[in-house]
Amino acid sequence: MTASTPPFTDARGKTYADITALLGAFCFFLSALEYMVPKPLPFMRLGIANLPILLAVDLLPLPWYLALALVKVFGMSVISGSLFSYVALFSLAGTLTAAIVMWLARKAAGALISAVGVSILGAVASNAAQMGLAGLVVFGDAVRLIAPPFLAAGLATGAFLGVFAELFTARSAWYARATEETRG
Amino acid sequence: MRLKGLDIVIALATAGAVAFAALSAYGPGGGQESAVLKGKGGEWVYPLSTDREVRIAGPLGETVVLIRGRSVRIIDSPCPNKTCIAAGAIDRPGQWLACLPNQVFVSVEGRRKDDGVDASVY
Repeated sequence: MTASTPPFTDARGKTYADITALLGAFCFFLSALEYMVPKPLPFMRLGIANLPILLAVDLLPLPWYLALALVKVFGMSVISGSLFSYVALFSLAGTLTAAIVMWLARKAAGALISAVGVSILGAVASNAAQMGLAGLVVFGDAVRLIAPPFLAAGLATGAFLGVFAELFTARSAWYARATEETRG
Repeated sequence: MRLKGLDIVIALATAGAVAFAALSAYGPGGGQESAVLKGKGGEWVYPLSTDREVRIAGPLGETVVLIRGRSVRIIDSPCPNKTCIAAGAIDRPGQWLACLPNQVFVSVEGRRKDDGVDASVY
């Protein structure tokens, strides 16, 4: 995509737009599921709404990928009713940090890493970003005390999501077709 | 599904980071004492390990609290009696200082260490 080419005029751009839209809708749905699950602490989430972003790492170019991350933040904030509160800032910080870290990990490590490692890095980065923000805004130094359970939760949910993404990408006909369309 | 080398490295490194964070937060030496300062405008918590001077605004003016050498004392306050200054320094969890006229309350919180002598008689 160049500046002179509007995003939808070529077939590749349309493919990217389709994938972003579908994965974005998927984010909305998973955010709703996520919202139903009881949380022991306000920011402790399963992170299942990050699954579409994890899948998008290998499908979308960076601008579309970041757009998807913003769609996820928006969807999650709308569904949880936190769009116009400071909670949305935490969501934004966590999601964007995770998205960028996952992207860099994938592009830097390539075949040396699977979705499991990418996902763990993303989850931990997201939790770290949110704790950093929490330390600045709410808790101060006490953030040290809440760090261990958050990091441990990130490891567990990140690994779980990564395994799911690996199984999904290995079996999904949709993913195979999307891969083909974006490459071909 | 096959895990790649970096996956395992990342999982182990994260587990290590969790263990390290847990040890430093909950382990021996962790849960360090902190000075809790309450004034009219709010409440502040500072670690005792870092020296600093804090000014707390009250109805009479500013009360100056000094954190130095792992202890806290009030070094100046615009109150008539200066009882708070005379009370000296506190450094153990549970101890407190107060300047009632200026509505400032200072206490030390944290894990109580059992390394001191409670009392002695001769």
